[in-house]
Amino acid sequence: MARIGVFVCWCGSNIAGTVDVEKVREEAAKIPGVVSALDYKYMCSDPGQNSLRNIIKEKNLTGIVLAACSPHMHENTFRKAAAKEGLNPYFVEIANIREQVSWVHEDKERATAKAVDLMKMMVEKVKRDRPIEDVRVPLNKKALVIGGGIAGIQAALDIANGGVEVILVEKEPSIGGRMIQLDETFPTLDCSSCIMTPKMVEANQHPNIKLYTYSEVEDISGYIGNFKVKIKKKARSVVEKDCTGCGECWNACPMHKNVKSEFNVNLSERTAIYVPFPQAVPLVPVLDRSVCLHFKKGGKCQKCYDACGPKCINFDLQDEIIEETVGAIVASTGYDLMDTSMYGEYGYGKYKDVISGLQFERLLSASGPTEGVIKRPSDGKTPQTIVFVQCVGSRDPEKGVPYCSKVCCMYTAKHAKLFAHKVHGSQSYVFYIDIRSTSKGYEEFVRSTMEQDGAIYLRGRVSKIYEDEGKLIVKGADTLSGNQVEIAADMVVLATGVIPKKGSDKLAQMLGISYDKYGFFTESHPKLRPAESSTAGIFLAGMAQGPRDIPESVVSGSAAASKILGLFSKNEYEVEGTIAGVNEATCVACFYCQRVCAYNAISRKEIKDRSGKLVKVVANVNPGLCTGCGACVNACFSKSIDVKGFMDDQIYAEIKALAV
Amino acid sequence: MANTKTDEKLQKIAKDLLESGEVSLIIGYTKGSNPYRMRPLFITKAEEAGKLSFSSHAVQDLAVFLKKPEVKKFGKIGIIVKGCDEKAVNALIQEYQVSRDNIKIIGVECNGVIKQNLADKCETNVSESTVYDKCLICEEHIPVIYDFLAESEEPKLVLSGNVKPYSGIEKLESMSAEEKNAFWAQEFDKCIKCYACRQACPLCYCSRCIVEKNMPQWIDTNSEETGNAQWNLIRAYHLSGRCIGCGECERACPVNIPLMLINEKMAKDVYNMFGYKSGLDINAKPVFGVFSESDFNDFIK
Repeated sequence: MARIGVFVCWCGSNIAGTVDVEKVREEAAKIPGVVSALDYKYMCSDPGQNSLRNIIKEKNLTGIVLAACSPHMHENTFRKAAAKEGLNPYFVEIANIREQVSWVHEDKERATAKAVDLMKMMVEKVKRDRPIEDVRVPLNKKALVIGGGIAGIQAALDIANGGVEVILVEKEPSIGGRMIQLDETFPTLDCSSCIMTPKMVEANQHPNIKLYTYSEVEDISGYIGNFKVKIKKKARSVVEKDCTGCGECWNACPMHKNVKSEFNVNLSERTAIYVPFPQAVPLVPVLDRSVCLHFKKGGKCQKCYDACGPKCINFDLQDEIIEETVGAIVASTGYDLMDTSMYGEYGYGKYKDVISGLQFERLLSASGPTEGVIKRPSDGKTPQTIVFVQCVGSRDPEKGVPYCSKVCCMYTAKHAKLFAHKVHGSQSYVFYIDIRSTSKGYEEFVRSTMEQDGAIYLRGRVSKIYEDEGKLIVKGADTLSGNQVEIAADMVVLATGVIPKKGSDKLAQMLGISYDKYGFFTESHPKLRPAESSTAGIFLAGMAQGPRDIPESVVSGSAAASKILGLFSKNEYEVEGTIAGVNEATCVACFYCQRVCAYNAISRKEIKDRSGKLVKVVANVNPGLCTGCGACVNACFSKSIDVKGFMDDQIYAEIKALAV
Repeated sequence: MANTKTDEKLQKIAKDLLESGEVSLIIGYTKGSNPYRMRPLFITKAEEAGKLSFSSHAVQDLAVFLKKPEVKKFGKIGIIVKGCDEKAVNALIQEYQVSRDNIKIIGVECNGVIKQNLADKCETNVSESTVYDKCLICEEHIPVIYDFLAESEEPKLVLSGNVKPYSGIEKLESMSAEEKNAFWAQEFDKCIKCYACRQACPLCYCSRCIVEKNMPQWIDTNSEETGNAQWNLIRAYHLSGRCIGCGECERACPVNIPLMLINEKMAKDVYNMFGYKSGLDINAKPVFGVFSESDFNDFIK
């Protein structure tokens, strides 16, 4: 026999101002099975909770209904209170009469009638509640970090320093990501490689970090606490443990004129066997088989092998698949720059001296192709006038992307500043839409570029760039003065927008995490759960989530790390018991549920008899992956799958309660 | 009537398959006691193969038998299918009800099947006005997938365009919501909840149909207005994006509810919205079994 208690909360005047709470309480008392009905000013307060607990005890309640605020606010509060009195916490139901009634209605009489209806529905539901146990998933306390840029390195270091083993996988031959390509960093102008290399080295030498460079995640299955990961370690053709990084091999390589350096964004050449940059970590070269003469010309060339002292070059090495089991994952795959060649009017790709912001970073860098002397690509002359164009691709819903790439305002200001520092008497012009410089020290930094370094900022867009007698003629508008401007520049730098790293959508699909229409990974909650993905156990960091600068990337790496360390502080992970369950007797194994499951939580289960003969195949829910979203329930034709706590008969009883 | 060349070919295929043990059951057609009707035939022995036959009176979609447990237990099965029926086999493979490895598809070229009411009046001529609407829009006179094929000797179906297949859909689309409601209320009023539509459908394979779920009873079992509407609507939804258009439900309906009007309208909408046609590709994902972030959502206002 049901013994239900109904508790109507006033929420001060939040509810009581629009809903006749006494009437709701009176109506509750009339419902068969309700043995106690109470209204109180603040049910969530200590006295409110205490009265709830006392009544559970006194009246020996079997279920409670709170007509109060959204379950998002206090469901847990009341569940805990009920659990303290020995009631299964899932015998607590919330009728949301605040967000769904008092806050959205004005007519007190009708609002009260709706509140009564919602309360009645929940009374009928709670009568049909069954005890639900939370699911406990054991944790493999090892983490995987995908992407070894600054965010990934920071995450890996923080996790490793917390005493947890980390596997750091990086696609490129060296860790360091985009940050190591940069010259000096805004707003303090510390040299990027000076602050980055120590972190790279630390990650490489850390006893808790296992580093796989030139490697890619090939496959991921499983769920929080128990992800099975397959890592493809691409054939480097160099035995890492024997290599000393001496450089004899790449010096001997005859292919030194034909291959563009990815690291220097095509501004220089590299050899077939190469390290992307001198401070690479690990300092072990990679042999690019797609261009190597040994592989292209049937094994004749082996100059690198001949030059190698420890004879660690091995042309026969094969790709290797490494399998690991981890309990949590950080996805920090970073970003690419948009392809600016679609802006034909800017002439990127057509005029050699129209370059991207990242290329300009390489020209500024002391380890770059010009050793830090700014020389323009066409003739190697030092430019005296540079035009910087901001928002190339960003904030352009027509041709590019509607979002702001966030870092361009600042790095353009930095570029103009460094240009002024390196080429005295030079002049830079910056075309901008707005200046966005909102972090600590940023606004002052942009100001000083304008005022001390003499950069001329023009608010407006560039309409055309063309070449004329060795100059780049930049035509644009200065919307503040209302004039058309024409500048004869020696070089043009485009502040190209950022997009997610190529292939990050594929990785997201493999991980079963969601991503937005641009391909950036989406957070579980944009404000309150910014480090978590939509899938339990998978965390996000860095630019893979969206445009952000270095400090923010570092913060996000640390945030993901702290979430993982928090998760690993327990031996088991507890999942809410409100997950899907299959009625095996009626399931016909059409697997529409599996197809619509966004969390890969449904698998095939074979039911066998005692002799081992297959009786039938049915759908099976993995409790570690299921979030209880209910997509499978909708997809099931025979109604053979249900979410605990939202069972068919409960929903039906709720609807029936309305019909009476 | 003597065996046609098509019959002979079917008989040979069946005989070989049974003799070699590649299948243990063959489902096909044989001549009925009424010469203008064909009835299903189940054979397990090679010497019975001579009974197999095919003609423009072979209306029934034999794929419906594949869902039966008593058929399933034979394991490896050969089935004789027209183009439309074969799409049902494909849909069953797509939905894991039949394994491609366990089925030998014996396709038969079909130029249209004669409406049963006309056949019962001894109609033998395949023409625009004698075949079902599905035959007029048929794009699979030869099945999409087959292991063996028996070609037809009969003349091809000639379309003049004078007969408009499924003309009811256009009429329906031009109606107001109230008119549509009234139209269907009138049609569904006839329903006697015999579930013949379900039993005849090759894709209604649930071992417990939603109408049989009684805790709670979502769909009223008695045949009255609400329950009838609920049943016919849920059936329409369960088949949208899945129905392959064999028309067996409508043919089975004892009270002549124009069920194909619903099914074809749903199929048309699914094709217009998602570019998907059911039963053409065994590797395709069923349209309502796809979870995609890029699904259009402009209907959310």
